[in-house]
Amino acid sequence: MYETNLNERKSFLEWPLILAMLGLMLIGTAFIYSAAFANESARTLSWFKQLYVKQIIWYEIGIGFVIALCFFDYRTLARWSIIGYWGTILFLILVLMIGSGGASWGARRWINLGFFQFQPSEFTKIAFIFMLANFLSRPVEELRSKTLFFKALGMIALPFLLILKEPDLGSALVFFPVGLLMMFVAGVPVKYVTAFVGGVGLLMVLILVDVLFVPIDSHWQVIKLEPYQRHRLLTYFGQDFAPKNATPTERKQAQLLQNKRSYNVEQALISVGSGGLTGKGWRQGTQYSLGFLPRAVAHNDFIFSVIAEEEGFVGSVIVLTLYTVILFSGIKIASQARDRLGKILAVGVVALLFSHIFINIGMNIRLMPVTGIPLPLLSYGGSSVLCSLIAIGILQNVHMYRRAY
Amino acid sequence: MLIFDQLKREDPKLRIISLGVISGLVILLAGLWWVQIVSAKRYEANLKNQSFRSVRVPALRGKILDRNNQSLAENRPRFDVNIYLEDLRPQFTREFASVARAFTNRTPGLKIRGKVLEEVNREARYRVASNITSQITSKLQQPQVLDSARFTKHYQQQPYIPFPLLQNLTQKQVAIFAENFTGLTGVEMEIQPMRTYPNGATASHLLGWIQRHDEPRDEEEIACKYYLPDFIGRAGVEASFDGALRGTAGVKSLLVNNLGYRQREEMLSLTEAGRNLSLTIDLTLQRAAEKALASAMPNVRGAAVVMDVRNGNILALVSAPAFDPNAFPNGISSADWSLLNNEKYSHMFNRATFGAYPPGSILKILTAIACFESNIMSPAEIIHDPGYFEDRRLLGTRRIKSLASPGDYDFKRAFLKSSNTYFIHFGLKAGLKKLVEVGERFHLGENTGILPGEEVSGEYPHSNRLSGKYAGDTANLCIGQGDITVTPIQVAAMTAAIANGGKLFWPRLIRDLRPADAVEADLNSFQSGSLRADVRLNPRHLQIIHQAMLADVEDSEGTGSAARVEGFRVGGKTGTAEGTKEQTTWFASFGPFENPRYAVVVMVQAGVSGGGTCAPVAGKIYKAILNLERTGPAAPQTRAGLN
Repeated sequence: MYETNLNERKSFLEWPLILAMLGLMLIGTAFIYSAAFANESARTLSWFKQLYVKQIIWYEIGIGFVIALCFFDYRTLARWSIIGYWGTILFLILVLMIGSGGASWGARRWINLGFFQFQPSEFTKIAFIFMLANFLSRPVEELRSKTLFFKALGMIALPFLLILKEPDLGSALVFFPVGLLMMFVAGVPVKYVTAFVGGVGLLMVLILVDVLFVPIDSHWQVIKLEPYQRHRLLTYFGQDFAPKNATPTERKQAQLLQNKRSYNVEQALISVGSGGLTGKGWRQGTQYSLGFLPRAVAHNDFIFSVIAEEEGFVGSVIVLTLYTVILFSGIKIASQARDRLGKILAVGVVALLFSHIFINIGMNIRLMPVTGIPLPLLSYGGSSVLCSLIAIGILQNVHMYRRAY
Repeated sequence: MLIFDQLKREDPKLRIISLGVISGLVILLAGLWWVQIVSAKRYEANLKNQSFRSVRVPALRGKILDRNNQSLAENRPRFDVNIYLEDLRPQFTREFASVARAFTNRTPGLKIRGKVLEEVNREARYRVASNITSQITSKLQQPQVLDSARFTKHYQQQPYIPFPLLQNLTQKQVAIFAENFTGLTGVEMEIQPMRTYPNGATASHLLGWIQRHDEPRDEEEIACKYYLPDFIGRAGVEASFDGALRGTAGVKSLLVNNLGYRQREEMLSLTEAGRNLSLTIDLTLQRAAEKALASAMPNVRGAAVVMDVRNGNILALVSAPAFDPNAFPNGISSADWSLLNNEKYSHMFNRATFGAYPPGSILKILTAIACFESNIMSPAEIIHDPGYFEDRRLLGTRRIKSLASPGDYDFKRAFLKSSNTYFIHFGLKAGLKKLVEVGERFHLGENTGILPGEEVSGEYPHSNRLSGKYAGDTANLCIGQGDITVTPIQVAAMTAAIANGGKLFWPRLIRDLRPADAVEADLNSFQSGSLRADVRLNPRHLQIIHQAMLADVEDSEGTGSAARVEGFRVGGKTGTAEGTKEQTTWFASFGPFENPRYAVVVMVQAGVSGGGTCAPVAGKIYKAILNLERTGPAAPQTRAGLN
């Protein structure tokens, strides 16, 4: 329908994208409200301290960013990408030194600014997309050079390693599909890309074999994951925590730990599953209101469980549909981009959003292991909301400054 | 369409990306379909099986206050030491290894599985808890050995509830614990509100006592499967107003993991503190009355009631011997329990409301009313009392003793010397029907309604069922003997009605119930001066009787002269009733004579005589009343403590 639309050139906003974004923001507000209000003590907070109000404020700030982004051509913005990239890298180093994080596993992911828990890894993703897009937008011929390819790999590896060190395996791994797709679309020779995919695949397999089959603390184990990361993977693959040669005591202990570790996943799955076709109705969910789905995660990493429990399969499909609209608007914007920079940028954003959506929803239904990856626009949290909206702003920006057919 | 347009793009790379995104979304969709549609039933079942335990949390019990807001029952903080089992889990597992080693050393080749595994686990848990127990209890100078059976039972039935280790720590122990064990894993010192009766045995029958009670009391509570220690009133106002005093229990929801340990807890509904109960009792007067009654004779068994004749308020209600209700909340030993329930003394028995005794001569007041109303007796008429009553026609060969000295008696002298001959002579003329009718006007043989279920009605003939009664029964009734029994509270209500000109009040013990946080009750739920019946007494008859009662105390010949008080004129009637085992002595009185305000009734079992045993007690009570009226009510105590 767009190709036949003669007025397309005049369209200033990519309406499906904007409408889907607004729809998701509405859903996000409604279900953060729902999840937070199950908590007795939260209800007694004054209105401006309520999570959903804070989320609305973040949405507004984010929309402000989107509007601001539209005033600058993405090509102008791309010139600043080096500063942005190294700036966020600096923050990643800073977070390792002074950051605070999830109390239970001693990770350092946030910088506490008092009013705002600033999560540099989220912003790094955006800066990285700009940086890599800018880097790859040079003439295709130059991309054939091996040196350039390794430089690009370095751009991926630096934030990957820093974020892995926090540790936040999930967020770190997101850089690979994003970088990969951007290179692919930019025209990096397919053999490099396949080698890259193969390398990443081999790395993953090695990690898994290492975690699943190599006895802990043996010198064969090359990759030392944090215990909780290892446990998440074991949970995901349905493996016993206890090694094969464990004593009954160790086995018992491991069993206890396993029950504890798999708790969130089990509860999220029960939430989603018990929603059925049509769900229990808004604010009627019991999993989080009774505290099964832990309060600490219900409104952020596991917000999808809340939606799925209360609105059922129908609600899940609506959410998926809205994401589909955003992703394909993004692909369409990539195809209509004025230049290769715009195209690579749009594909980077699509890859980032898609990775988050797939990992987060997948984790709620046990398709993916549990990671701290937020669901774009729906999960509670300033950093996540701002970055999701900036990402959409980038798409909108590429759309506005697209070439005219 | 947006999606298909992208798939048809000429740009093959974007087409591949589109395909990839589509596949990803389809995978998610299929996953959601599998979880939410295909497996929905299974997850719904899982949802229901989530192991939640509702635990009932008792509310703070309301206070009981006297009429001047002095505390009769309140709560003080009690310090307990509890073991939180879920925090000991790492220690359990550590201990498991060494216990398992000990087992295999003992029997080589033993496989730790099944029953043996269970035993090893149990032993490991017991060792951990037992170590902690001995460590703490020896430091607190109260060495204890952990009861294995009790611990195991608790662990098996409710591991998510802390295990109570020590209760009721002394101040010193609290200090030692705080110094040595603060921060020790799995052990906490906690404060429990504990019922306490600051005045000990004072008013104990009236207040009643409470007992540990951990069972549901209404349908809502049945939903709770587990209960934290709570108490139920077993007697007195603690029992009658148990619901109001207890308040509303809250419900705490415990999430229990698959191993039965507590994961998290949350209050589902908050507790609502019990209401404070204010009584009509005056603590000072109550104490004085108890002291007075105790002075009647050694090991006195009896009762005393002080009632405000103007409105039926109970100012003091004493039963002796008494008990200390503080002995019950922490659990009483069976030896102590049987001591309190000794057949002869029965300390727990409230003689003022549950004790029904033959009234003896105090019933002559009613006989006099019956005779006056039948117009067969004039106060001046003289009857000769030879020391016994005899009527061959009516009673055959039976002689009824008269305790008064032989001689001639007019009404006043017959009343104050309590001549049986005189009253039987006229009583038989008035007739059984008339005598019974007068008693019924005073509602003898019926409950006074002082506290529901806290009294007996006594025995009194019913006017519709008089056939089969003989003249001998009538003669007995005239002098309060035979099958008739009354409770001291009934006599108090009756005496008050005589004193106030014929108004029979419902005895009032409760002034009001008020929410725990309110200083003043906003309305009196228990009305003052609730009239039960107008006894319809002729003022002229009443005046004669009042004069006779005054004479009983003030006349040198009067049997009740021991009740005389300087500056306070008292009218009364003594009674000595013979029983099968022992005699019951009475003194029913009112004062001050000119403007009656108080009725004082004293009953002593196995006393010497009403005048000799009970009248002095009444005299002491009147002295206390006089004192109280001069000095004014006591100021409310201020006490440190909970609530």
